[in-house]
Amino acid sequence: MTCPRRLRLILALAGKDWQLFWADRRAAALGFLVPIVLASVFGLIFGRPTEEKTAVRLPVAVVVEDDGPFTRQVADDLLASLRIEGVEVSRAEAETRVADRRPAVAIVFPRGFERLKDWKPGGSEDRPAVEIFHHPTTQPERQWAEGVLTETVMQRLAQNAFSGLLSSPNGFAAPFRIEAATVPGLSHAHFNAYTHSFCGMTLQYLLFWGMESGLLFLRERQQGIWSRVRAAPVPLAAVLLGKALTTAGVALLMVLVTFGFGRLVFGVTVTGSVMGFVALVCAASGLAAATGLLVAAVGGTEARARSVSILVILGVSMLGGLWLPAFLLPGWVRDLACALPTTWAMRGLDGVTWQGRGFVESLPNVMVVGGFAAAFLAIAVVGLMIDEGRRRRGNCPR
Amino acid sequence: MPAALSLQAVRVVYGDRVALNGVSLDVDRGELVGLLGPNGSGKSTTLAVAAGLLDPLEGVVTVAGLQRRDDPHGFASRVGLVPQSCALYDELTATSNLTFFGQLYGLSGCNLRKRVGRALGRAGLADRAGHRVGTLSGGMKQRVNLAAALLHDPPVLLLDEPTAALDPTSREEWLADLARLRDDGHAVLFSTHHLDEADRGCDRIAVLDRGELVAVGPPAEVFGCRPGGRIVLYGHLRGKLPRFLERSLRQRFGPDVEIDATGGRLRLSALTSEELGRALALVLAEGVPLDAFHTPAGTLARVLHQVVG
Repeated sequence: MTCPRRLRLILALAGKDWQLFWADRRAAALGFLVPIVLASVFGLIFGRPTEEKTAVRLPVAVVVEDDGPFTRQVADDLLASLRIEGVEVSRAEAETRVADRRPAVAIVFPRGFERLKDWKPGGSEDRPAVEIFHHPTTQPERQWAEGVLTETVMQRLAQNAFSGLLSSPNGFAAPFRIEAATVPGLSHAHFNAYTHSFCGMTLQYLLFWGMESGLLFLRERQQGIWSRVRAAPVPLAAVLLGKALTTAGVALLMVLVTFGFGRLVFGVTVTGSVMGFVALVCAASGLAAATGLLVAAVGGTEARARSVSILVILGVSMLGGLWLPAFLLPGWVRDLACALPTTWAMRGLDGVTWQGRGFVESLPNVMVVGGFAAAFLAIAVVGLMIDEGRRRRGNCPR
Repeated sequence: MPAALSLQAVRVVYGDRVALNGVSLDVDRGELVGLLGPNGSGKSTTLAVAAGLLDPLEGVVTVAGLQRRDDPHGFASRVGLVPQSCALYDELTATSNLTFFGQLYGLSGCNLRKRVGRALGRAGLADRAGHRVGTLSGGMKQRVNLAAALLHDPPVLLLDEPTAALDPTSREEWLADLARLRDDGHAVLFSTHHLDEADRGCDRIAVLDRGELVAVGPPAEVFGCRPGGRIVLYGHLRGKLPRFLERSLRQRFGPDVEIDATGGRLRLSALTSEELGRALALVLAEGVPLDAFHTPAGTLARVLHQVVG
């Protein structure tokens, strides 16, 4: 068979699958809508504002049992802190609220706290206690509250101790300035909390689309239509390549639509190399297509393939950092995840979208994802050809 | 000149089950051959081997002298297959389906468009060309199904129980279509388990039983050996068969006449044609809605019994 004829065949097969995809327009529309919804919801839930004025504040209940003026001053300072969202309640109410995680932490200034006003550096005897209640599941919040409490008390003590020396209307201030900066990459000017979720959810949905395509192929093979296609002068490789081409094409379109929405609505941008982004998206689309054929090759029946594929895709998505940033996972899991294509795809996309990485820096990720796609494709084609040979020899009962 | 389709000593085995055992059959151009046999006798397997979907364990299959392993493209290009179930994409229009299958056989451009238009016209579906196949009736679907196999004008046409899901009227049309294709010079091999279909339209009949070809020849020759038993009439019921009818027939004719309705199919049998005619008149007089009826040449079981012994 000549090369142009083979190419025409592949395009005809791909065109048929493309038409079938669009035949059910509602299903096709959902295919684009679902990743957008998932990415938006994940972005909304896990996104964190970066501006100080809108910084997250820890909800804390404050109980003041000492009537002294120093204790009152410290409690007022604490309630006015930008780091917590304080509310003054009684001890009984604080215990009830903490048990119910509304809020999860309470700071109690008991009777006798007032004597702290006479504290001098070096004098460590008979220190008054401050009680902190917290829910068993909120250890980090307790530590956060402790830090804010210590800062507030020490500021008030220092202000009182040095009040004669100070004339500033702003009161006592630390003898140094803190300049905090996020370090997302070469440029953080365009950092957007939604970027990660759009990268992750799009990648995950590409894999699901690949799976769906593989399941459609399995279904097609059970029908009489497969006999007609196989009776035609068409090599199996052309059928598979046609299928892969459509799956990859639809995947590319999904990325375009999803990121287009992210750009328009949430300001998701590619701050690094656009070429790198395109290369990664192409590799990920190829991975989706290869995954589909792999599902068809090793899945067995449609029902079995669906169950196993869902489990595998959810697993590699979670471990690859598609849901939540990978640094939240234990070290050994992160090491293990290096063996997954999703990890490389996600790191690559994070790199070119919000970390500002260049084309050359993204190339290793492109190559690894492309390598996985090629390997999956090879396994699938060989597996399906062996299966076809078996069928031709009558090893699969009709 | 080699036969359009030739199967020589073909043996096919599924696991440890022998599906075909030494089947030899030639079909020439301009010949319509019916493949008869009960379920599981090997009809579909024979057609799958002839279409190149199955490689026989032993034996040779050629199309116009070509073996599939020597020239798979040439072999496949000379065969048109109509699978048992409607092998079309329900979601696509009739035109899109035919265009796609035409492309698989190397047709393109103006030639393809012309052939698709002509095929739809011949199938009487020109006005339904833009309709999705899923919205067409069973008979229309089967006509598109046949048109898809004829687009590349194959010398050999294989049909696997093409009339299985059709009503009597559509079946008659189908048999007429097959005869026309035979007259156009196609070598047509089709499977069926309706004896009447094979009897009326075929030039030759091949009877399969448990994977073996037990009889081949013209219908008169094969059916000539049928026992002189009952004469049977089949009809298609449009409604329910009244319960009293069986009792009335028994009272009037005794055990000589039998009536049986399964699903929408009515079977009326008698010892003589006169009795059958009178029984039919009684059925029609009772207002039983029958679409069409015809007498087959015998029953498949009886023919098999006679041939196999």
